[in-house]
Amino acid sequence: MKKVVAVLMILVLAFSAFSVTITMTAGAVGTELETLYKQVELFMKENPDITVQIMPMPNSSTDRHDLYVTYLASGVSDPDVLMLDVIWPAEFAPFLVDLTDDYKYFELDEFFPGTVNSNTVDGRLVSVPWFTDAGILYYRKDLLVKYGYDVPETWDELFTIAKDISAKEGINGFVWQGARYEGLTCNVMEFVHSFGGEIIESGDVVVDDPKYFDKNVAAVAFMKKLIDEGVTPKGVTTYMEEEARRVFQNGDAVFMRNWPYAWSLANSPDSPVAGKVGITVLPKGPEPNGRHSATLGGWNLGINKNSSKAEIEAAKKLIKFLTSHEQQVFKAVHAGQTPTRVSAYNDPRTLEANDFYADILDVFLSAEPRPISPIYNEISYEIQVAVHSVLTGQAQPKAAVESLAKNLKGLIY
Amino acid sequence: MNAKGKYKRQDMVLAFWLILPTLLAIGITAFYPLGQTIYDSFFKWSLRPGFQRQFVGFQNYINLFKDQRFLSALWNTIYFTIFSVLIEFLLGLATALVLNADFKLRGLVRAAVLIPWAIPTAVSSQMWKWMFNDQYGVISLMLYKIGLLEAGTPILGTPRLAMAAIIAVDVWKTTPFVALLLLAGLQTIPVELYEAARIDGAGLWRQFTSITMPILRPTIGVTLIFRTLDALRVFDVVYIMTQGAVGTETLAVYNRSLLMDNIFSPRGLFGYGSALSVVIFLIIGVFTIIYMRSLNIKLD
Repeated sequence: MKKVVAVLMILVLAFSAFSVTITMTAGAVGTELETLYKQVELFMKENPDITVQIMPMPNSSTDRHDLYVTYLASGVSDPDVLMLDVIWPAEFAPFLVDLTDDYKYFELDEFFPGTVNSNTVDGRLVSVPWFTDAGILYYRKDLLVKYGYDVPETWDELFTIAKDISAKEGINGFVWQGARYEGLTCNVMEFVHSFGGEIIESGDVVVDDPKYFDKNVAAVAFMKKLIDEGVTPKGVTTYMEEEARRVFQNGDAVFMRNWPYAWSLANSPDSPVAGKVGITVLPKGPEPNGRHSATLGGWNLGINKNSSKAEIEAAKKLIKFLTSHEQQVFKAVHAGQTPTRVSAYNDPRTLEANDFYADILDVFLSAEPRPISPIYNEISYEIQVAVHSVLTGQAQPKAAVESLAKNLKGLIY
Repeated sequence: MNAKGKYKRQDMVLAFWLILPTLLAIGITAFYPLGQTIYDSFFKWSLRPGFQRQFVGFQNYINLFKDQRFLSALWNTIYFTIFSVLIEFLLGLATALVLNADFKLRGLVRAAVLIPWAIPTAVSSQMWKWMFNDQYGVISLMLYKIGLLEAGTPILGTPRLAMAAIIAVDVWKTTPFVALLLLAGLQTIPVELYEAARIDGAGLWRQFTSITMPILRPTIGVTLIFRTLDALRVFDVVYIMTQGAVGTETLAVYNRSLLMDNIFSPRGLFGYGSALSVVIFLIIGVFTIIYMRSLNIKLD
């Protein structure tokens, strides 16, 4: 018996000399984690010399951020592969392996350009897009048909339709995310961009630039108008994604701005609005500068700089595997997470599981990133405070945009 | 006091070794981090790799008092503390007096009262957040129905109302704790004192002011210190219910933002956050000293 154990020990040691173990952080939203376990199992079968350990993370992005801060600041080599929110690459760049030379290896030409840009900090590629997200407009097909309306193309049309139907049905018109948190920044960016405005342009604060100022004010004023005119419930100032989704899914709203994740939930068998929901691009602002806009969300994979050489090589293999066409399709089918490779949208398997992808491919193609900056958190906070003060009636749109400009310019370093 | 005369040398040595582990534990977990934080607060620095630590003296502290966000967080914290502690104390005292009386099922009621205290704050805050929801929240609905609030008003999204709601949740949660502490104090009062007072013709109010309150004073002091210290560093209930929006941000919530969200900021905010931590520490220290002086409490 002892001999057997000894031989086994030697075998394990000999084997481990050639094998490498890497750890990877992962979320557990919906069936995300189960799907990943299956993918990783396949990866390990294909690469017997690599063992991958999954570290499940909290679902809240803020909580994940706090954990990463602890890992990275302490300089440990685990986790090797980090799942990064689209707004983090700039902040975490100094802790991540430079992947610029691996651009071809990861076949990044095949990815949505916006997702690759959001992973590029000062010309350095620091992570690879894994799955993407973009703000979209959900609407009640049945109600639009009932009252003879087309899907709104502009914010003014949405306003009129929402006001009319909500009054007749006794429900809310349009729900979105207006609580003072990161989601508000995403919503604000969409309103601002769709009105032709801009907050930060290639690193400079342009919120009060004559070219953009009036449009920015108009966009914020429109958000307030939605609330004042009863199209959007006053409670929107406390809504995050889930609050909005519950209202919409319960049949209590005509329109909703949300991420694609709400689609499968709104159409689940126990949903009161199953089969009655349509999705489209968010409306555009008034002429001549109005355009459709969606804020880019999503998650990327980066590698910890403190990992050993062997771990980094193994991590690159894992990332290449997970972001391959085949695995992105698998993820889209099993976890409903939207691929970052254009080719995955032409795959019949993806479309069979997510028939709505075809309608919003353009949205993903043109989704606009939030400002890329190592002080992004501070920038976003100022945007949230300025707009939330308007939404809660503590400031006028013009004054709020002016003070936003002043505060953003104060964030010099 | 002359300790040397009182104790044998041998006992002193033994005492030293017995206390040592505790001192070490406190040293490592409390004094070392405190010292480090105070040290850090004099620097402009960030945990961003390559950031040069710059000594700035008291600049972080000077900046704090020019920082509008800090000043309003300070005011919010004090506002929260005064109202939550005051209401909890009055309700807790009333509850304790009731629970001290003799009635059937007293044990059961005493246990039941503690339920809010037993629920983790993270859970109860989330629960109350739901009850304050503008569309489906039961509290909102009741307030709309009786006309106290205009229908659709989001309680947690309205300035002043949001803070009141947060205080209400804290009162709901912590009153049982206050009641329990005061109840323990009440039970140390001998019944004979009240009998004697009655014989001397003292009414209920006189009994309360001349017997109950004086004997209860040390207990009240300890209770208020406990509660005030807790309230001054309130974090979870605020962070979960509003994340500090609409004038509810407290010092601890602002501090989290500085030390976690902006830890790698090239603006070097880690020292600034440390300065804020020190200020919280000092404020709590000052409050403690005021209490101990005014209530004549001795800790030995």
